Amino acid sequence: MGLRLLRKILVPFAALVLAAAIATIAMGHTHSTTAASTPSMSPEAMQLASLASQTTKGQLAEGYQLFAAHCSFCHGTRADGTTGIAPNLQGLGAGTVDLWLSTGWMPLKTPSAQPENKVPSFSPSQIRAIAMWVASLRPGGVPLAPKLDLKSASLSTGFSLFTLNCAPCHTITGAGDALADGYHAPPLHGISAAQVWEAVRSGPQNMPIFGDRNITPSQLEDIVRYVTQKIEHPQNPGGLGLGGVGPVAEGFLGLFAGVGACLAAAYWVGDRTEREEEEDPHGHGTDHGPEGPETAPEGAHA
Amino acid sequence: MIDSLYRWVDDRLNISGGTRKLLNKIFPDHWSFMLGEIALYSFVILVLTGIFLSLYFVPSQKDVIYHGSYLPLDGTHMSEAYASTINLSFSVRTGLLMRQMHHWAANIFVGSIVVHMCRIFFTGGFRRPREFNWIIGVNLLILAIFNGFLGYSLPDDLVSGTGIRIAFSILEALPIVGSYLATFLFGGNYPGTAIIPRFFILHVLILPAIIAALIGAHLGLLVKQKHTQFAGNGATERNVVGSPMWPIFIAKTNGFLFLVAGVTAALGAAVQINPIWQYGPYVPYHVSYAVQPDWYMGWLDGALRVMPSWEIVFPGHMIPNAFFPGILLPGITFTLLMMWPMLEARIRNDTLEHQILEEPRNNPWRTSIGAAVLSFYFVLFGASATDVLANYLQVSLNTVLITFRVLCILVPLIVGPVTYKICLELQHQHRPTKTKRHNIVMRSAEGGYSTIEVQARPGDERTILPPIPVDAMILVNDDGEPILADGGPVTVGAGAGPGAGSGRGNGSRGLFRIPRSYR
Repeated sequence: MGLRLLRKILVPFAALVLAAAIATIAMGHTHSTTAASTPSMSPEAMQLASLASQTTKGQLAEGYQLFAAHCSFCHGTRADGTTGIAPNLQGLGAGTVDLWLSTGWMPLKTPSAQPENKVPSFSPSQIRAIAMWVASLRPGGVPLAPKLDLKSASLSTGFSLFTLNCAPCHTITGAGDALADGYHAPPLHGISAAQVWEAVRSGPQNMPIFGDRNITPSQLEDIVRYVTQKIEHPQNPGGLGLGGVGPVAEGFLGLFAGVGACLAAAYWVGDRTEREEEEDPHGHGTDHGPEGPETAPEGAHA
Repeated sequence: MIDSLYRWVDDRLNISGGTRKLLNKIFPDHWSFMLGEIALYSFVILVLTGIFLSLYFVPSQKDVIYHGSYLPLDGTHMSEAYASTINLSFSVRTGLLMRQMHHWAANIFVGSIVVHMCRIFFTGGFRRPREFNWIIGVNLLILAIFNGFLGYSLPDDLVSGTGIRIAFSILEALPIVGSYLATFLFGGNYPGTAIIPRFFILHVLILPAIIAALIGAHLGLLVKQKHTQFAGNGATERNVVGSPMWPIFIAKTNGFLFLVAGVTAALGAAVQINPIWQYGPYVPYHVSYAVQPDWYMGWLDGALRVMPSWEIVFPGHMIPNAFFPGILLPGITFTLLMMWPMLEARIRNDTLEHQILEEPRNNPWRTSIGAAVLSFYFVLFGASATDVLANYLQVSLNTVLITFRVLCILVPLIVGPVTYKICLELQHQHRPTKTKRHNIVMRSAEGGYSTIEVQARPGDERTILPPIPVDAMILVNDDGEPILADGGPVTVGAGAGPGAGSGRGNGSRGLFRIPRSYR
C-alpha cells in the first residue's frame, strides 16, 4: 500500500529510469527490515534521499554497464551472488564497493587467500558509478566516505585509538604484518582518507567492522587524521626509518653494517701494521727480548 | 720539573717497573686479535653515552600527562620514564643522537662479543691455560645480553613493555619457584610500579659495575697469560711475536677506538633506531603486532615461536610450555658454552697447554660442531622474524613457522658435515678413499658382454705414511722417564715448539708442560 503511495508521489518528479531504480531500492527496503543482519549506518530515509540526490540517470546506467561487463561473471548480473562463486553484494553499500575497487582488490587478478593492492582497473568516476549502481539495488551498508573535517581532529586521540584498535594487526607503525593462514594486514602507506574511513566502517576481509557506536564519527576522524598524517608520513628525525618494522631491521643493520664496519676497520688497522713490518722490521719484537727465546726467560726479570 | 715529579712519585709507588713491562707487552699483529677491542670500545661508548642519558632520564612509573613538543602525544597519560625519554629525544640538544648511539653501540657490543667469541672458539684459543678467561667471556656475553634487554625496557614504550610482559611469563614458567620469583623481582604482580626503577638501578649501576670488573679481570688475565698467536712468522709455543704496546700498538688501538666510535656515531646520526614516539606509551591492554626484541634476544624469541604447544604434565604438575624455550634452552646453551674447554679437553684427551692457535681447518671436528651449533642459533634468530618474513615473502605465516621448525633441525645437520668436508678440502688432506679402477669390457664372439676387473697397479693405492715419532716430543714424568700416551708414540705438529721439562707440580699423569718462566 505504502509502496504505491510512494510511487505515486515520486513519479511526477523523477525520470522513468530513476524511478525504476528507486522502486527497486524501496523493495529492498521492505526486505531489509526483515534481514536484521544487514548493517545499517544511518536512517534509511535519509540514505534514500541522499542517494537520489547524488545519483544521476547516466551514472546508474554507466555503473550497470561496467558491472555487467567486469563483475557480473562472478557476482551475477544483479550483484546477488547467485552464481555461487562470489558473494552477494546487495546491501553492502557504496562505500564498501568504492573501497574494494579503489584499492584495486577487485577485479581479482587470481583467486587467492587475500586480494592484493594494485592499480585500480577503473577511473574514480567509473568506480563511483559502479558503487552507486550496486547501492541502488538495496539500501543499507556503508555509504561513501563523507567529507571529513581533519583540521579539527585530534592527533593524540587518534594515536591512542589507533594503538587500541588498529595496531594489534597493522602494527604500531602501520607497516602491516602477516596473520594466520596466508592472510595479512596490509600496510597502511599510500591510502587515502576515504579508504581509511570506508575500511573501518565496512571491515573488509579479516578486519572487524567498527560501527559508529564502537568508534564515533568524530573519533574516526581522529584516527583518519593520525593514519593519513603520522602513519603515512612518519616522523623520522633520527635518520633512515628502516620501513618501521622495528628491531628485526635494526638488528640486521647493527650486525652487518655496524659490526661489519668495525670488522673492516680492524682488518684495515691490522693490515696496516703488517705492511709496515716489511718496511720497518725494527719496529717489531717478540716477547722474549733481544737475546732470543731460549736464553731470555720472561719470568726471570719479573 | 716533570721528570723530578715523576721520580718523586715513582720512588714512592714504584710504578716504573710495571709500566715498563706493560709498555713492552707484545700484541700479535693479526687483525682478528682486534675483535675483542670492538667490544671493549663499544663498552666505553656505552658508558659515556649512558652517563649523558642518565642525566635526563627519570626512572619512574608515575603517571603524568604529556604536554611536550611531539603533538600526537599531547595530553596523553604516560609514565614519567616514557615522557622523559620523549623529552630527551626531542627537547635535549644531541639527546636523540646520544640515545641512538647508545642503542647502536649496544647492538655492536653484543655482536662483537659474539664475533670475538667465535674467533676464540674456532681457533682453540680457550684451551688450557685460558679456560678461566673463556668462562669470564661467556659471563660477559650473558651480562651484556641481559643488560641490553634491561636498557631496551627502560623507555616504557609499547614495544618494550610487551617484552617485559614476555619476560615475566618466562619467569613464571620456572617450575615450583616461578611465580614467587616473578612477583619478587617485579615487586608484586605484573606490571606494578617498581619494575622501571629496579631495571634502572640494575642497568646503570649493578650490571655495568660487574661487567667493568669482569672486563678488568679478562684483560688482566690476558696480560698475565699473554696472547695466543697463529703459527708461522717465528711464533712458537714459548714466545709472542708482534708489536710492542709502546709505540706501535698504542697508536693502533687508539686509532681503532676512534674508528669504532666513528662507526657508532655514523649509525647514530644516519639511521633511526627504536623510534619510541611512534610506538606510544606502554598500556598493558594495548599491544602492537610485529613486536620483536633486539637481535641478541632474537634467538630466544625465535625459540618461543617455533616451540610446539606441548603441555607436559610431570607427576601431576604442568610444566608451562615457555619453560623449555625460555629457560631450559638458554640454560643448556650457556652451561655448555662455559663447560666447553673442559669438555673438549676430556673428549680429545688433550690436557696440554697451548699458546699456538689452530687454523679452524686443522681441527675440522671442532669447527664443524661449532658451525652446526652456530647455524642452529642463526635459524632461531631468523625464526624471531616469522611474521615479518611471511609478510615480506607473501607466504602463509603457518608455512613459515613450520619451515623454521624443520630448518632448526635440518640446517645444523647439513652445516656440520659440509663444514667438515670443507675443512678437509682446505687442508688438502684428503682421507684415503676408494680409488677408481679401470674396468675392461669384453665382447665375446657370441655377442655377450663381460667385465674384467684390472689388477691394481702401482700408484692406484694411496700410500699412507706412518707418523714419525720424534724423540724430543716424548712425554716425560717427573723422574725424566719417557711416558707413552694412550695411543702409542706421540707426534706433535710442526707448529709446536720443542722443549722438555719437568714442569711445576706435574700431576700423576706426567704431562709435558712448558714452564711458565720460559714464555
